[in-house]
Amino acid sequence: MNLRRISVVAYKEWREIVRDRLFFVLAFVVPSLLMLLFGYGLSLDVENIPLAIVDYDQSVSSRDYAHHFSDSRYFSFQGYAQREQDVEKLLVDNSLRAVIIIPPDFGTRLKSGQATTVQTWIDGTFPFRALTAKGYVTAINAAMNLDNLSAHFSALTGIGQETLRNSMQSVKLETRYLYNQEVKSIWSIAPKLIMVILMLSPPFLTALGVVREKESGAIYNVYSSTLSRGEYLIGKLLPYVGISIVNACALTAFALLLFGAPFKGDPLFFLLSTILYVICTTGIGLLVSVMVNTQVAAMVGTAIVTVVPAVLYSGMIIPIPSLSAIASVIAHALPGMYYAEIAMGSFLKGVGIAALWQDMLILALYAIALFTAGFLGFSKRPKN
Amino acid sequence: MNSLFDRIWWSRLQAMTWKELLQLMRDPVLLVFVLYAFSADIYNAASGVSFQLNNAALVLFDLDRSAASRELAGRFMSPEFRWAGAITHASQGQQLLDDGKAMAVLDIPPGFSDKLARGDTASVQMQIDASNSVQGFLAAVDASQIVARYGLEQTAQRYGVGIGGVGGAGGAVDAPLINNQTRVWFNPNQNDAWFMGISELLNVITLFSLLLPAAAMVREKERGTIEQLLVSPLSPLQIMIPKIVAMVAVILGGTALGLFGILVPVFAVPVAGSLLLFFALTTLYVSTLAGIGILIATMTRNMAQAGMMVILIIAPMMFLSGAWTPPEAMPTIMRLGMYVSPLYYYINASYGILMKGAGFSVLWPMFSGILLIAVMVSLTTIACFKKQFA
Repeated sequence: MNLRRISVVAYKEWREIVRDRLFFVLAFVVPSLLMLLFGYGLSLDVENIPLAIVDYDQSVSSRDYAHHFSDSRYFSFQGYAQREQDVEKLLVDNSLRAVIIIPPDFGTRLKSGQATTVQTWIDGTFPFRALTAKGYVTAINAAMNLDNLSAHFSALTGIGQETLRNSMQSVKLETRYLYNQEVKSIWSIAPKLIMVILMLSPPFLTALGVVREKESGAIYNVYSSTLSRGEYLIGKLLPYVGISIVNACALTAFALLLFGAPFKGDPLFFLLSTILYVICTTGIGLLVSVMVNTQVAAMVGTAIVTVVPAVLYSGMIIPIPSLSAIASVIAHALPGMYYAEIAMGSFLKGVGIAALWQDMLILALYAIALFTAGFLGFSKRPKN
Repeated sequence: MNSLFDRIWWSRLQAMTWKELLQLMRDPVLLVFVLYAFSADIYNAASGVSFQLNNAALVLFDLDRSAASRELAGRFMSPEFRWAGAITHASQGQQLLDDGKAMAVLDIPPGFSDKLARGDTASVQMQIDASNSVQGFLAAVDASQIVARYGLEQTAQRYGVGIGGVGGAGGAVDAPLINNQTRVWFNPNQNDAWFMGISELLNVITLFSLLLPAAAMVREKERGTIEQLLVSPLSPLQIMIPKIVAMVAVILGGTALGLFGILVPVFAVPVAGSLLLFFALTTLYVSTLAGIGILIATMTRNMAQAGMMVILIIAPMMFLSGAWTPPEAMPTIMRLGMYVSPLYYYINASYGILMKGAGFSVLWPMFSGILLIAVMVSLTTIACFKKQFA
């Protein structure tokens, strides 16, 4: 391992990057632009669900019930429909995501102290939205029931409604949301966005590094030189790691300053982990580059091992514990999950190396494993 | 005369399309990637992911240690919750949450059962890890349901009434209770595999539709073979169309593999609508994206630039497609951006056909959305291509 030779390779690679103006600009612009787009656009809050109500009862109490839904900020009331048949088509063409159907005897039954059944239809195409919508409906309905029951029993027993109300809620649940008191999705998203974007962009920077030289034949200069395999690979990687570290700092700044995510952990620890992570993600691109023989295959391969898992198996949108065995294996086989732990810990939880050293260690081992694989897969005497 | 001219035009197109297909076939690594993406990758996504609140690790911090507190705690059951042990000190709970070993801590204060017995309002606390805001919300809703039901039963017992099957000895004494029955349409069992499987298929289609044509075009530029094509008697359209046709053919084959090889047989995805319509839609969509891919290729000089441009376009398309983020919750500007993304229309129409059984009469706005984008893209692409090479 000769440091001077490494730096020569790195310098040559750097010159190549700088001379390719568009690529150089894209290398810095793409991550920041993605951060802005996702940060502003990627809200997981389910609000304004388009809702219609079919009220067969048209009584005071049915109107009252309907109001609880139409006034809620979770639903966006689209109007009353006359019949169920009218709304079915609207559910199919996405104009509606939820419908509430109030039966004709709703008011009379409630008045006479009988139970009644209301139906809610929810569009289940997107399970994630359907679940949340179901949660809202349940919560609103429960609050209504409490009102109705306390009023009813107060009339029966003569005990004040407020007292009854309290005693019906004989157990109160006080919920405290940790790490994200207002359950703001941007707070929980911003640190993970850093993880996702550093999984999307850096591998593409390096993906063509080696294979391009294979295709153009320039690699024979390397084969015939005194450069060792390790020196060549490290030299290739260094400029991209440098670019990605700058990008990581920019992304962190966006998360803090633009999206207002709190940073409670140890900056130095976070920086070190980020460097390790960036070595891992650029390394993935380099490894693909070493393994394949055409640039097209390198791009497609990189896209498959990074873009899709970044969406699905990184814990960005779907929490890791909810994954099945295979998916969980994929998640554990990629560095994103470990870095996500570190990012969440550093931003929201305010924990440092004491709690996260394992994740950091895994990232380090990952980097070493990638490098070893690249080293073994790269031969200076190719068969063909 | 005219027909001879036509025949030459067609035979050139055929030859060029065949050339593109051959080029793909001769890259075995690439073929393996394509096969993997349309089969195993879709299988993994469909089998691997669930949105429900599953196995949320719950820790009990019970300072009351009474029958009542045990009864309440016992109601937090699977599949939503999973007991991850009991603690004896508040700081332990914090520690478990910090380490990610617990998702929630249920804290029952001393005097809980006494208060209940006296008829006072007793309270319990729950600390929830909201670092994933959606799961946090679902956990809170579930917990409040459990606690409310428990409280209601306690009250019902004290007043000696049963509430609609909720309390007492099953004695459904009438009470003005509104039962809200939720019926989930199109996916009654909330089978996540349907959503995830289809969504992954659409993502893979998107990825290849953009990447393959862009790469096929840039490769010609990088190698200088585009010069040979330009001096040949081929028009710009005759250079572009075969690339698009070849890639559309490959991707449609992959789509069929994903649909009939994985989604339908393994996960019983209901193909409620017309398959013909779905493949027509996919052809339209893939051609549109291929046009965008070629546009990227005319704007870039080498594969590295093209790769970065593809990421720049494809990542927002996937993340902001409306599948993950409800369009209603997006800021207005972003929503406008979503409307110029063909994936938005493609997702809506695909779910419409496959899960809802919608026909063209319902989906025509989605088709016209893609078509409009396709027209704009092809006009721009042809203009760019001519400007660059003519």
